[in-house]
This record gives sequence, structure tokens and C-alpha cells, in this order.
Amino acid sequence: MTSLNNDTILNPDIECASRERIREIQLAKLQRQVKHAYANVAWYRERMDEMGVAPDDIKTLDDVRRLPFTDKTVLRDTYPYGLFAVPLDDVVRLHASSGTTGKPIVVGYTKGDLDVWAECIARIASMAGVTSRDRVQMSFGYGMFTGGFGLHYGCEHMGCMMIPASSGNTERQLMMINDYGSTVLIATPSYAMHICEAGEAAGIDWSKSTLRVGLFGGEPCTPALKREIESRMHIVCTDNYGLTEVMGPGVSGECLSSRHQQHIAEDHFLWEIVDPKTGEPLPEGEEGELVLTPLDKEAFPVLRYRTHDLTRITTEPCACGRTHARMDKVRTRTDDMLIIRGTNVFPSEIEDVLAGIEGVSPHYHIVVDNETGLDRMTVSVELLPEGMHDSFEKMEAFTKRVADTLTNTLLVRPRVKLVQPGTIARSEGKTKHVEDLRRK
Amino acid sequence: MSISQISVFIESKPGMLKEALDVMAAAGANIRGYSASDTGDFGIVRFVVDNTDAGLTALTDAGFAAKVKPVICVHLKDDPGELSRALGVVARAGINLEYTYSLVGTYICLQVKDDLEAVEKLLERESFELVNDNDFFE
Repeated sequence: MTSLNNDTILNPDIECASRERIREIQLAKLQRQVKHAYANVAWYRERMDEMGVAPDDIKTLDDVRRLPFTDKTVLRDTYPYGLFAVPLDDVVRLHASSGTTGKPIVVGYTKGDLDVWAECIARIASMAGVTSRDRVQMSFGYGMFTGGFGLHYGCEHMGCMMIPASSGNTERQLMMINDYGSTVLIATPSYAMHICEAGEAAGIDWSKSTLRVGLFGGEPCTPALKREIESRMHIVCTDNYGLTEVMGPGVSGECLSSRHQQHIAEDHFLWEIVDPKTGEPLPEGEEGELVLTPLDKEAFPVLRYRTHDLTRITTEPCACGRTHARMDKVRTRTDDMLIIRGTNVFPSEIEDVLAGIEGVSPHYHIVVDNETGLDRMTVSVELLPEGMHDSFEKMEAFTKRVADTLTNTLLVRPRVKLVQPGTIARSEGKTKHVEDLRRK
Repeated sequence: MSISQISVFIESKPGMLKEALDVMAAAGANIRGYSASDTGDFGIVRFVVDNTDAGLTALTDAGFAAKVKPVICVHLKDDPGELSRALGVVARAGINLEYTYSLVGTYICLQVKDDLEAVEKLLERESFELVNDNDFFE
């Protein structure tokens, strides 16, 4: 099938507004958002009172620096509803992301929040040329992870025909692409690569397939992998950036004119780049930690969220015509977070979970690979003599119980491998605990 | 009755089983029988040694996860059909064997879920020679 992909600017009035107008919109929304957080979230009110700053002190965009940062630990400490700013009756959906320890991070959305989210997704899908005529195969898993539902409702909002395939069962994915004539594939890049290879092995000629666009997310995508998928599957692929704490996917997305960067939806998000060590602002164009303040959040307002993602941002005009700032694709983080099948995993959490299980030590070693296309995480855990049982069946049941307990916290199921006591290297820094063998 | 058996958690990695054996040898524990099978990432390897205490201490000190458990030990007559006759006793009682293996010569070990003594009585009734630690290691 000949494919003609046109970057479509969904909302030119906003996406191509002058920098001045964008800043006006941002300031008005920031003032409203700060008032909302101060009035309705005790944690923000207390922090701002301590810092001696009132909502009325926000007179310019630079005044955002007077506000407190929000870090993941706060989201954990206020679990589950401590940062919600509206009555739960007004919340129409929850999503969760894994926390740094024990409990997940829970976020909520009002109907209005979901409309903003759908608009953000529709913009990034339009950047890749997706229109209401497309048939979109969703190969992200659904569930508490924001990727599945976020992209689903955003594309449905555009009028696309959604095919909620969910992840896994590659043969069925291929059958659906073929039988339903899917034109857009939403997947992690590594799973898209797997579908590509499985299709080739099954004798599918991708150049004749109806598929024309890949919308990737859930994990970073290297330019090399993207180019390879594009040439082998004869599709155009873009990826986007987002995180559950400030909304989900769709915070920024790649247009077809500037493939290594992503336009931030600046009417919905105020960005800052700070020195990850000091929290001080860095000049435009310098690499630093991305700090985001969503500007339209009703249920879950967040001020100055520390993403721990390193990037640089430019406000130079883009060839596509959009005026919204562009951020470099995120490659590195300031912490040890892993992304497994689109879900954030903090290795330090594993230690906490293991410490609570009798019969194993808290020491662990993680190997991540994606030989089968989907990320697989194997956690080696030391068996203690107390956990030892003469029956192999009971030992297998014990292994399963360790995996179940880890799954409850991590939200991704690891393969657990019991190893002999004392054989895992003792803490020599976090990087030693993780071996990432994924093909990028 | 019954004899003592040491079960050891062994990771499926080259040299791991040998390490356990060397540790026991150094402690002077002589192996009279063992069983290991193809499982997965790990296996439970069972040993009958002539000095259970020394074997267990040596393994534990070397960092192995190990346990001692009683197991039925039967001394079979060296005649055709005797193994079948012994296992038939357990089968007729409707009891599942967890595992079984042979020791030196015509000694076999049998493991059942929990009614060890009941099974031993059944075997004795059929004139099987049951063995305990003292008899076996004499």
C-alpha cells in the first residue's frame, strides 16, 4: 500500500501561537493552578506557607521558582488520595505507577482532565499523520499503566477505529493487522520490532500491509531502532513522552520535521530545566533535569514535578510550523529507574519487598532482556536455609509466592530465580544490581 | 525406624553439586546414596551419608541451604520383583510416593507426604527389612 503521511496540525490556533501568546496562556493557567493547589491540597498549602509564598505572589512565569518542588516521595507519602484536589465523586478514573518503595503512586482524573489528555494524545497522533479514518491497533497492555487507556481514548476521541488488542500473543496481533486492516500500531518499540520479525518469519510482505504508522511509547526508542522498524515494516514511526505523575503519555511528541525532538504541549505544561543537584534553573539549551507543572489538572494538581529525566529544550521555530518548545528525547535519568513493558520499576523497591519475605535475603540481582520482543525481568533472589524445603513442589510454590509478592508492588511480573545463599554480590552501588541486556 | 537424609538446594550451574560434595568429603561424611533430577533453575539434591550431623554442619557452614529429614529405608532381597513388591505395598495403601531412589546395593529410599511410620508398618507386614541410621551405617 502506498502510504502518504502528512503531519497534520490538529489545533493550529494553539500549536502555532506566538511565543508571547503561549506565555500569556501559561501565566494565566499557572496562577489558576497554584490557587487550586493551595486552596484544595493541604500539602501544597503547608509547603507554601512554610516558604512564605502565597498564590498571589505568582505574577510572572519566573515566579514559578518560588514554588515548592514535588518529588516522587511526596506522592508516596500521601498515598492514596492525599494530593487529590477534588472530591472523589468528581474523579472518573485512577491510574497508577510504581513508587520508589512499597506502595504505588496513584493519580486521579476528572472528566475535564481526561478531555485535556485526549487532546494531547490527538495532537501527537496527528503529528504522525493519523486521522479519523485510521484503524488503530492498541498493542500496549491496558490496566493501571497510563499508556493503554491514554492512547486508546485519545485516538478514539479523534474518531479512529480502535482495536484494543492489548499486548502479547504475537500471532494474534499479526492476524488482526491482516484481517482488520489495521493502519496504525501502538506498541513499545521493542514489541513493534518483534511483531515485525514475527511477520517476516510468517512470510508477511510488510510493504503490502495496510499498516502505515507506528506510535511508540512506554520506553525510550533509539533513532537506529526506529529507522530499522520504519524500513522493514514500511511505516512511519514516532514516539512521545509523558509520565503518570503529571498526566501520562502525550506531554510531548515528535513531529515529522524534527525527528530527534518532541514538541511539549505548552498550553498544558510549564517546563523548567534545572541543575539536578541544586535545583537551580539552567539557561535555555543546556542539558538538565526536566521539571514539569501541568497547567490544567483538576483532580491531581502537581507543582514543579521533578521528573529525574535529563534533556535540553529549545524554543527555536520548527519547520513543521509549530511554535511549542521542543525537548530532546530523554536518554538518561538521574536515578536508577528501569522501564519494563512501559511500567516504571525502581530496583530499590525490590529490596524492600524481599526484606518482608521470610526465607530469602534482601539481596537481589536483576537481568532484563527482550529476546522474545517483550521485556523480561529476571530477579535472582538468595534462598536462606529457613526457606529451604525438602520438596521440590513446595520450593516451586515458594518461588511463585516470591514472584507474586514482587508483582503486587512492582506491577510487572518478574521471573524469580532462587540462588544459593551468599552468592549475590553485596551492595557495590545500584548499577551492579542491574544488567540490562535489551537490544535497543 | 527411618533413616536421616540431607536435602540441599543446588542451583543449576556447573560445579555447584561438586562443591556440595567436596564440602561433605572434607568433613568426613561418606555418601551412601543420593538422588538428583532434571528440574529447572535449581534442584533439591538428597543425600544419605554415614555422618549426617557432620555433613549438615559442613554444608550449612559453607553457605548451602540444607535440611535433614527422615526417609523410609528398605533393605531389599536381591531377587527379581522385590522392588516392585515393595512399591506395591505403598501403592495398595493408596499413598503417593514423593520420590524414591536407591542407595548402595539393594537399599532403597522412599519418601511419602507425612505418614512415614504407617508406610513402614505396611512394609514390615510384608516382611521387608527396614533400616534405621544405626543399622545402615554399621
